[in-house]
Order: sequence, then structure tokens, then C-alpha cells
Amino acid sequence: MTPRTRALLACLVLLVLAAPLGAQSGGVLRFCLHSEPKTFDPALVDDEASENVRYLTGGVLIRLDRETQALEPALAASWKVSKDGRTITFHLRKGLYFSDGTKFTSEDVAFTIRRLMDPQMHSSTGDAFRSGEGTVEVQAPAPDVAVITFPAAVAGLERLFDQVAIISAHSPKKEMAVLGPYYVSEYKPGEYVLLRRNPNYWRHDAQGRPLPYIDTVRLDIQRNREIELLRFRRGELQMINRLDAEQFSNLQKENPGAAHNAGPGLDAEEFWFNQSPAAPAPEFRKAWFRTTEFRRAVSMAINREDLCRIVFYGYAAPAFGPVSSSNKFWFNSALPAPKHNPQEALRLLAQAGFRYDGKVLKDSSGNPVEFTIVTNSGNAAREKMATMIQQDLSQIGMRVKVVTLDFPSLIERITKTFDYDSCILGLVNTDLDPGSQMTVWLSSGENHQWNPSQKTPATAWEAEIDKLMREQASSLNEKLRKAAFDRVQQIVAEQQPFIYLVNKDVLTAVSPMVEGAAPAVLNPQVFWNIETLRLKVPENGGTE
Amino acid sequence: MSAKSILRAVSCSVLFAVFAAGLFAGYLTHYSYALQFREVPNAAPSALHPLGTDSLGRDLFARLLYGTRISLLLAPAAALLATLIAGVFGGLAGLAGGWCEKVVLAAADLSMALPLLFVLLALRALMPLDVSPVISVVATFLMLGALGWPSSLRVAWAAARELRNSDFLLLARAGGSAPGRILMKHVLPHLRPVLFAQFWISIPLFILTEATLSMLGLGVMEPLPSWGNLLKGLENFSAVRANPWMLAPLVLLVVVVISFQLALPAEGELA
Amino acid sequence: MSAGISRIGRRLLLMVFLSLAGGLLGATLVRYAPGYGMDERELDPRLSETTREAIRSGHQLHSGLLSYYGAWLARAAHGDLGRSEWLDRPIAGLLVERFPLTLRSVLLGVLTAWAAGVVLALASLGARAWWVDLAGTLTSGFLIALPVAVVALAAMYLRAPVFVAIAAVIFPKVFRYLRNLLVHAYEQPYVLAARARGIGHARLLLRHVLRLVGPPVAALLGVSISMAFGAAIPMEALCDSPGIGQLAWLAALNRDLPLIMNLTLVVTLLTVGANSAAELLHSEAP
Repeated sequence: MTPRTRALLACLVLLVLAAPLGAQSGGVLRFCLHSEPKTFDPALVDDEASENVRYLTGGVLIRLDRETQALEPALAASWKVSKDGRTITFHLRKGLYFSDGTKFTSEDVAFTIRRLMDPQMHSSTGDAFRSGEGTVEVQAPAPDVAVITFPAAVAGLERLFDQVAIISAHSPKKEMAVLGPYYVSEYKPGEYVLLRRNPNYWRHDAQGRPLPYIDTVRLDIQRNREIELLRFRRGELQMINRLDAEQFSNLQKENPGAAHNAGPGLDAEEFWFNQSPAAPAPEFRKAWFRTTEFRRAVSMAINREDLCRIVFYGYAAPAFGPVSSSNKFWFNSALPAPKHNPQEALRLLAQAGFRYDGKVLKDSSGNPVEFTIVTNSGNAAREKMATMIQQDLSQIGMRVKVVTLDFPSLIERITKTFDYDSCILGLVNTDLDPGSQMTVWLSSGENHQWNPSQKTPATAWEAEIDKLMREQASSLNEKLRKAAFDRVQQIVAEQQPFIYLVNKDVLTAVSPMVEGAAPAVLNPQVFWNIETLRLKVPENGGTE
Repeated sequence: MSAKSILRAVSCSVLFAVFAAGLFAGYLTHYSYALQFREVPNAAPSALHPLGTDSLGRDLFARLLYGTRISLLLAPAAALLATLIAGVFGGLAGLAGGWCEKVVLAAADLSMALPLLFVLLALRALMPLDVSPVISVVATFLMLGALGWPSSLRVAWAAARELRNSDFLLLARAGGSAPGRILMKHVLPHLRPVLFAQFWISIPLFILTEATLSMLGLGVMEPLPSWGNLLKGLENFSAVRANPWMLAPLVLLVVVVISFQLALPAEGELA
Repeated sequence: MSAGISRIGRRLLLMVFLSLAGGLLGATLVRYAPGYGMDERELDPRLSETTREAIRSGHQLHSGLLSYYGAWLARAAHGDLGRSEWLDRPIAGLLVERFPLTLRSVLLGVLTAWAAGVVLALASLGARAWWVDLAGTLTSGFLIALPVAVVALAAMYLRAPVFVAIAAVIFPKVFRYLRNLLVHAYEQPYVLAARARGIGHARLLLRHVLRLVGPPVAALLGVSISMAFGAAIPMEALCDSPGIGQLAWLAALNRDLPLIMNLTLVVTLLTVGANSAAELLHSEAP
């Protein structure tokens, strides 16, 4: 063998050896944000785009593993919650630094929490911790110990820390110095956010290699889902965080390897009748909505299987309660799941004094049953569901009109003027624990959508729900809390203040170029494990 | 017969045919536009459903026919309203001149600059919820008409301005006729051809505006079909690629609008 | 001469007045339309009472609309255009970011439409083949028959930039008007006489015809610019292009009062400006 051939062979061998390494690090991962991120300050995060950026850049004390739904230590090597549930002590990892080199100590934790809980901050993340009146005390007795004391016990305390990104108390870069896998390197408003790997990120993989594997993440700001899908097909994007059912079913046909269905999500589509006494509707109509048999009959007359099959192309499951089956701990499997049954519905209505003459349903005073459903425009799935429900209810003689409104007008009607009959909206559940939904279930709550902000409970069952919710909020025993909330779900199933429609599946798209993706049901569905994702280098080099 | 008059005859007959189809929709199809055939959503054309079905299983042919009724009956109503308003104000401005003219023209400029879409959004949100779909559709078109006058106004104004200094008007004034009589007997007849041309051109414009509105989500209430409503389905590119007959409403729209333009009695129109 | 200047001066004054009125009208519309002051965050169950109060008061106008408008004008004169409620950023910055994109789309769109329109109009007059004119008429007829939203969708699907869509909307009108103008101009007696005398096409066009059609063409240019701005709003909203049009649409959907005030003023200024320029030029016609 000539020296040249030997050298060539050596090069080849090196290339072959190096290839696995080269194919598994570096590269640019591209996917989209669906709106402009409003802030990079983790305390002020409210909208989805900002939350996604926070997830990618923020380091948290306790991380909720999206796949197992269990808590794992992150910046805190260990923690302990006191018996009364008011104090949590964190033992932090030592020797960590922010992305700009500033040392990480318990002072930063103290600074972050004090800032978060500052009432002037009006942070919704902070509000989730506010279980009672009073200030939150934070102490940093040692550089690696932080103690936080709350005025009252907080249910599900540890899990809430998954949302708290620690910022530096001293760094000149303020909130741009981060502890997460990436930091914001460039932001072009209206176009993209460019993230680069944090050289000081604390996590390493099992072999001791520093994470994340992927060097750069480019988040394009793209509102239009059709364009996003088009770009994904053309290879410009490698992941799509949430697809709608129609897009997914088309993608499934063309490229089944790229389409991932993570199973039923946590969100539910719900339909409720306006039971507020402030509604300007005529009394007889308000009386229908307050009649339990009326609501239960409507629930029975809706064909949920058809909704899942037609509106969501089969990528949804009928829902009968606020908690979806993928919420392993809080789901109540004992809830009744009534099948579509118009005859039974008519029987229930007859019990309540309604008469059906074969065409029109009339109440006991002879008024024909007519009402309107409002929903927000711009959501094709909801409009379709409303139209299908319109036909379902016409089979029991109810005449329903469907009106779509833009979001601010809709919110005004359902929270301020109460000038609506019924509404279909989605309940967005980012949290597994119902403890964060107190304002929905308490009759005095602002989000008790069918009749918000009551001075005293209007009905006996609402009073019972109040009692049960307060029980679960003050208890630290998980079993007791579950029993209480199970009973709440039972009452809701009997009374149907919210008529739950469907639980949509979590549908994502992942390019075969991406290795290691494991879409989960919890937010952020497709990139929760971004640090361990790898990009395959295409044969012609360069991933730009 | 010249090529132009052949074209005009053809387009007139096309319009008549489409108009008739919309009016007698009930006889051309025995399906309702709202009935959902849930077993066959997104179906290809077949003997039962000549144009297939939409995503909720509703017969597309029926929806197209009833949608034609809405677009073709209401767009002329909106155009009529707009032209009348433009005629009255433009005529007054042109005739009176001076202050009145300046104010009217400024108002026209201003309303052209305002975001029409937002005004429609706001007006729609103001409407009471429990009006029937038919009333809401009529109201939408009337709103379009009431807001669509600025473009026709300048034409009416220009025509009236010519008249202001014309001989026969001077004669009429010298003869001592009352202003009202002058308006009715002399001015309006003169403006009529101009206004009619404007009315005719506006009809397709309103059809198109309604289509754009519906595609932006501000259009007709479910389950009523309209051309814009049906065009909304085009936003889903993959569906259109899979089922190209979804373009039928677009084809019909284009044919009708072109026919309106070709059937115009006057020759050529100004921008 | 001085009469011309004073006319221009009066026009400018009218422009300014109309723009201010436009801004006020936009503000009134947003303030009194249903849904003002509402925030999506009110549906978030995590929020505490104080936070809700803060959100609500953040959206309220703490004075009458007129005084609010007056105060804003005073600040605007010093360059402070206020802060966007929905995006929580200074409006001046937002405008500076987004305006160049829209301006580029509009100008490129108008340029393309005019280039195509001029070429086709001249060709359809000059060419012997009858089908050139027919092709031009059919294309413009077809394009004019498409709803703006469909043109936007087609541009999106073909991955064409926004200005192509704007050009597609403006071209038919430009082509038809130009064609009719040119036909009329060429039929004028003295142009016919010039042709009979044997003057070459180019000279004919540049010397005689241009003088005739110049003012109305300039007027049409102004009108087409204002039409292009009008079309830009739905185009950008549908094509996801981060310009002024998309900003205006989203601001309307979010009831962002300060932003809408600014945008209505800017758009009114531009439209009225373009129209005024067109009118001034047109009245120069003999």
C-alpha cells in the first residue's frame, strides 16, 4: 500500500469513526411559535409563545417529567416540604453558573421568589401560589439552601415550581442570563427568536456529555397553521407542536412516520348554559337553563361520537368530566358516560314539563324552545361542533342558532354583560392538579362560568361543591384530596353545569431528521425533552 | 352581430341562468343546505351528491345553489343602497359646490381610509344574538351597502359637477324653477345612466367583499351558505389538493363577476 | 404661481385635518365597539383578585376620549407615540419595524402592476395580432373577479411574496384604465394628423400622447397607491406578513386603542395624501 493510499484509508477510517459523533450534535432545530412572545421575563409570562421560550431557556428547581408525570430534581438536588405544607426547603446543586458566567446561589432563588410574589408584579405564575393572605418569606441560610414559607398551605406545592424559572440577582443581563438549556441570542420581532445552547447548562447525559445536543434552535413566528404545515412538508421546519385534526389526518396519509399521536390531551371542549340572574333574557328562558333535566337532556341529545369522528377525524374521545383520562391521578373512571340517546332526552324533558309534538319542543307555558350558542370565530373546529350540535338538538325539537364572535366581544358577553344563552369554549388545562382551578368551581369564583361571582351559592349542589373544594385545598393528604374532587366531578356529572364534549388528542409532527422525540400530552408537547433531541445531518451536509 | 354584443348576450344569459338557479334552488335539489349526512363527510362527487359533500357531510351542490340565492339576491340590494346614498350625496355635492362639496368629499375620503373590516367587525358584534340567520345576512349586506358608498360617490359628484355649469340647468334656474323640481326633473334623469353604471359595477364588488369577509370569519351565520362561506374551505390547501371540486364555488364566482362586467351596457369603465 | 402654492397649502392643511379626524374616528370606534377593555387573561383561573383588578384598570381609559386623544397628540408632537397595550412595547418602535416591509410590498406591488399594465396596454394597441388584446382583457377580467382573500391564499400557496398578490389586485384596474386612455388619446384628431404626417411611433408616443394622458395617469398612480395600502391590510393578515397591515388587523382584534389610533392616523394620512396628490395633478390637465 502506498503512503497515499494509507493516508486515504486512515482518513476514511477517521471519518467513519467520527460520523456517529458528527451526526449527533450541532445543527439547527426549527419550529414555530404561533404568536409574538410578549415578554422574556419569566415572572410576567402569560401567553403561550412566552411560555415556550421560558421552558427552553429557564432553569427550574423541580421539573415535572412530561412523560411519567412525576417530579424530578432539577436545580434543586433535593427538597423537603414541612408537615403543615407551608414551608419548603431546597438543597441546591453546587457549582452551577448562569449562561453569562454569574454564580448560582440561593440568593438568586430568594430574589426570584420575592420578585415573583410581589403583589405589584401581578404575575399569574405567582398567583398560583397565593393560597392565603400574607407575604411569602424567603430565606437563604446557606449558599446552597433556600427556605420558602407561605402564609397558608399550598396544595400541590412542589409541582408549581416547574413554572418558576430562576433569574439572577446580580447579573447585569438580568433575566436574559439563564440556567436552562438555551439562551436567547437574537430576537427579530415579527420574524423569529434564535436560541443558542447554554455553555453552562448543568445537565449531562449518562455518558457525561454536556446537554443539549442541538446547538441552535430557531423559533419562527408563524400564525398561519397552513403555511406552517407547508413549510414542514418542504423540510424547512422539523417539528410542529400542535396540529389540528384535519392537517394531521392528511399528514398521516402522506408521511405516517412524521405524524405522532400522543393520546388524549388534558384540554376539554365544554358547553354551558347561562344561569346568571343578571342575564337580560326573558324569565322563561332563564328558567329552562336552570332546570337540571333540561341540561342533562341536552347532554344526552348530543352525539359525541359523531363530533369525534367528523370534526376531529377520529382523533378525539368523548369527554364526560373536566379531567381527561390522560391525567392519571385525578381522572375519575367511575363517572357515568351516557351514550347518545334522544329518546331518553325527551323522556327527561317530559319529566320537567316540556312537550314534544314531533317537530317542536315547547315548555309548559307553550314557549317553543329556542336559544343561541355563541363561540369564538376563527376556531373552525368549534364552529363545526356548534353546527353539529345544532342538528343534534333539532332532533329533539330545539331550534338553535349559532353565532360566532371575535374573542373580546365574546369575553365581554360571558363575563360582563351576561347577554348570551349558551357558549362553547375550550377549557385549557395546563395543570394536572385541579387545585389551580379554585375560581372555576367555587361559586364565588370569577371563572365559575355559568354563574360567576355569586355572593352566596345559588343552589344546594353548588354549595356542596364549595365545601368539597375548600376541603381539598386545605388538605395535604393526596387520597383525601382525590376523594373530594372525585365527588365534585360526580356532582358535575349529575347536574351538568358544564356539558363536556370531547378531549382532543395531542397531535404533533416530527421530521424523521429528529432523533429522540417522544411527544407527550403535557405542555410543551413536542419539545419537552429538547435537551436530548438530536438532528441527523443530511447527506449533502449543512442543516441550514 | 359584433363580437362585443355576442359577448354581452352570452354574459347576460349566464347571469340569468345562475340567477334562476339560485331562485329555484328548491326545485333543482331536494336536499336542504343544512342537512348533515354524517356517514359521508368530504365525499367525492357521486350520483347522490353531484359535487360531493363538505366536511360536515352537507351536500355541496345544494349549498352552492342556496348560496347563490344569498349572494345574487343580496349583493344587488347592497349595491342599490350604496348607489342611492352615493347618488344623493354626490349629486348634492356636485350641484351645490363650495362648502357642501368640500365636506362631502372629505367625508368620503375619510371613510375610505377607515378600516372597513374593523367597522364591520364592530357592527357585527353589536347586533343582538337572537336574530335569525336570514336577518343577520340581510343586515350584513345592508351594512356593506351603507359603508360602500364612497367609491361611487366621486363618480356621481363628477357627473353632477359637469351639470352645474351646463346650459340647460342655467336656463332652468333662470326660468324660476324651484330647486327641488330642478333636482327631480333635470338633474336626476341626467345622473341616472351614470348611477346605473355604478350600480351594475358595484354588484360584483359587493359579492367579492362578502366573500372576503366570510373568509376572514365575519360573514354569514351557520348554517346558511354563501359563496364566501364555501370559499372558506379553500384555506385548507391539502384538502383542496385532495378534492379539487371544492374549487367549484370559486369558478362560479369568477364566471359571474366576469359576466357582470361583460354585460355592462356602457363601454369601458374607469378605475 | 402663488395661487398654486396656496392651493397646495390648503390641500396640506386638509390632509392634516382629515388625518387627525381619522385618528379620532378610529379611536372612537375601538373605544365604543363591544369588547373594549376585555382581556383573554380574565379566563385564567390562576389569577388573584388584585391581578384581575390591575388587568382591568390597565385597559380602562381614565379620562374622556377627547382628552385622551388630545393628551396623546401632545405627546406625539414630541415623538412619544405611546405604548401598545396588547404587545406592551413602544408604538414608535413597532411602526419603525413594520413600516418598511409594508412600504416595500406596496411600492413593489404598484411598480409590478404598472410595469405589466403599461407593457400590456401598449402591446394590445400596437400589436397586429387580435389575441394580444383579448389575452390582456381576459387576464385582467379574471384577476378582477377574484376576491382579495383568494388572491392572498394563492400567493401563500405558491410561496409568492406579498407584493405579487398586491400587484395581482391592482394590475387589472391599471391595465383597463390605461388601455382606454390610450385608445382615446390615439383617436384624438391631432394625434391622427400627426400619424398621417408620418411621425414615428416612439416620437408620437413620447411627445404627443404622453402630454394628453400624463395628468390622468398621474392621478391613477395616486389612486393605485392608496388602493394598494387598502389591500395590504387583508393581504398581510392572511399571508402572515409582519407589516403594518397585519398589525392593524391584530390590533383591531385585540382592541388595542393606542395602536389603532396611531395606525388609523398613518393610514388616513397616506390614503388622503395619495388621493390629494392625484387630484392636484389631475386638475393640472388642460
